[in-house]
Amino acid sequence: MTNTYYEFFCPVKVIAGKAALEHIPYELTGLAAKRPMIITDKGVRAAGLLDPVIAACEESGLDIISIYDDVPPDSSTTVVRDIAAIYRKEKCDSIIAIGGGSAIDTGKAVNILVSEGGTDIAKYTGAGVIKQPLKPFFVVPTTAGTGSEVTSVAVITDEKKGVKLPFSSSFLLPNAAIIDPRMTLTLPPHITAATAMDAMTHAVESFTCMAKNPLSDAYATAAIKKVSQSLLQVMDNPKDNDGRLELAQASTMAGIAFSNSMVGLVHSLGHATGAICHLPHGMCMSLYLPYVLEYNLETIREPLGELLLYLEGPEIYAATPASRRAEASISALRKLRDALYKRCQLPRTLKETDKVTEDQLDAIAEMALDDGSIMFNPKEVTLKDARAVLQRAWA
Amino acid sequence: MLAKRIQPMASQARRLYVELMFQVMGRALQAVSEVDSEVQAEAKALPKGFLFEMMVMPDGSKLIVEHVGEGRFHYHGDSAPRPVDVSIRFKHLAHAFLVLSFQEKTSVAFANDRMLVDGDVSYAVRMTRVLNRLESFILPKIIAKRAVKEYPENLQLPEKLISAAQIYLKVATHFVQSARA
Repeated sequence: MTNTYYEFFCPVKVIAGKAALEHIPYELTGLAAKRPMIITDKGVRAAGLLDPVIAACEESGLDIISIYDDVPPDSSTTVVRDIAAIYRKEKCDSIIAIGGGSAIDTGKAVNILVSEGGTDIAKYTGAGVIKQPLKPFFVVPTTAGTGSEVTSVAVITDEKKGVKLPFSSSFLLPNAAIIDPRMTLTLPPHITAATAMDAMTHAVESFTCMAKNPLSDAYATAAIKKVSQSLLQVMDNPKDNDGRLELAQASTMAGIAFSNSMVGLVHSLGHATGAICHLPHGMCMSLYLPYVLEYNLETIREPLGELLLYLEGPEIYAATPASRRAEASISALRKLRDALYKRCQLPRTLKETDKVTEDQLDAIAEMALDDGSIMFNPKEVTLKDARAVLQRAWA
Repeated sequence: MLAKRIQPMASQARRLYVELMFQVMGRALQAVSEVDSEVQAEAKALPKGFLFEMMVMPDGSKLIVEHVGEGRFHYHGDSAPRPVDVSIRFKHLAHAFLVLSFQEKTSVAFANDRMLVDGDVSYAVRMTRVLNRLESFILPKIIAKRAVKEYPENLQLPEKLISAAQIYLKVATHFVQSARA
């Protein structure tokens, strides 16, 4: 009898491709929603990304009742409470979150409050607290990396207590994720690169960490292939619609993969570095990925070797001896990082970020050790190990 | 027919085994925090009065320990003096049995969604490291390797034997004291 066991869950309807935004009115109507509220940030609005969504709804006779466009990069309990108050005042009946991780997490948290009641979102923190379906909730990602549109978690900062509140429930998952290439077409090069490497890391860690399973593996490998084939193409030609769609789909697929198989040490170090040095998450992922893979190498030699097929294609995979494929996969990722550095100076070492000092490495290592994702890293990590990885990533 | 008769007995045996293991682990957590400086260093980062629980859902066996300060734990048995801060909950008795009979590593059980964490995840991660350290001490290496993700390389036999003897002695003493009380 096999000892393997896994769980896989993703009920999010994915609406992807050309004119995907124009499906929003139909989907809302299908859930009896007539008074949607948009939750977004100033950057998204300034980039004109709301216009096609609003136009798509108006053309179908559906008015957007309210637009909240002031979500900060690190959303807070106060912001969530304020948006919930507007939602109630305007008698909205559904939410469309448009943006990156922060706007989407805010949308999830607002949906908890307006569905469950009350004004204190902290009451619902933790796993499995929410027991019933929430209001209709749609997500339109404007970056191709976080995968938040298909994850059942949200993180909101409690300003008063100075802590981050995690929320986890399958009811946080949106009814639909709308992936339209128009929404990522204007992403600047360094954000395109960092967010795509975020998706790449989600997929690689999903495929090599402890909770990997056949279904998440399928999503992870497909995502790796798409990022490998399209990222540099898009960097060279930002208006490449097809390439943008490939990256956006890769992000969603990697999101589905990692939300069902978790991530490991790259994320532990990345979360700690983000908290201490305020570096963007995607940049941290890109930076740490090869160093962590080298650390885990002997534990993940087989799956990492398999990834060469998706990173470099069948010819290089076939020409590489099986015993060297894992190292070749790491080299492929390093090569990709070098190419990104050349195009947009996406840092490859902590020193290259110019925002981290060497004396912060100990604090990063200590914080990383207490990060939840370290549980799923295939190899045990001690403080000494974490310090060693950071030292290698330094310069 | 025979299988049908045996099943309730097997289930009862598993229940008793899990209950006994929780009692041993709770007392051993208290003991290891009195003898091992690494465990003390881990525990010192927890707030004083921090209550940790491991239990079987929905209302099965449980163990509760409190950090009483200076890196020391106190075993409270199966009742908490106030709401616990972090709870690791096995979804089913069978899952607790798999872990506590060392058929499934704690880390694998987490990866397999056998249990849930309620509370601050960073504290749960820290407590898992303490549990791993405890298991490395009190179990023979061959069994400990089945329980923890990686058996600590720096744990030498003399240190292991001395610490294990101290822990077992303290556990046995605690059992006797509890029985007398």
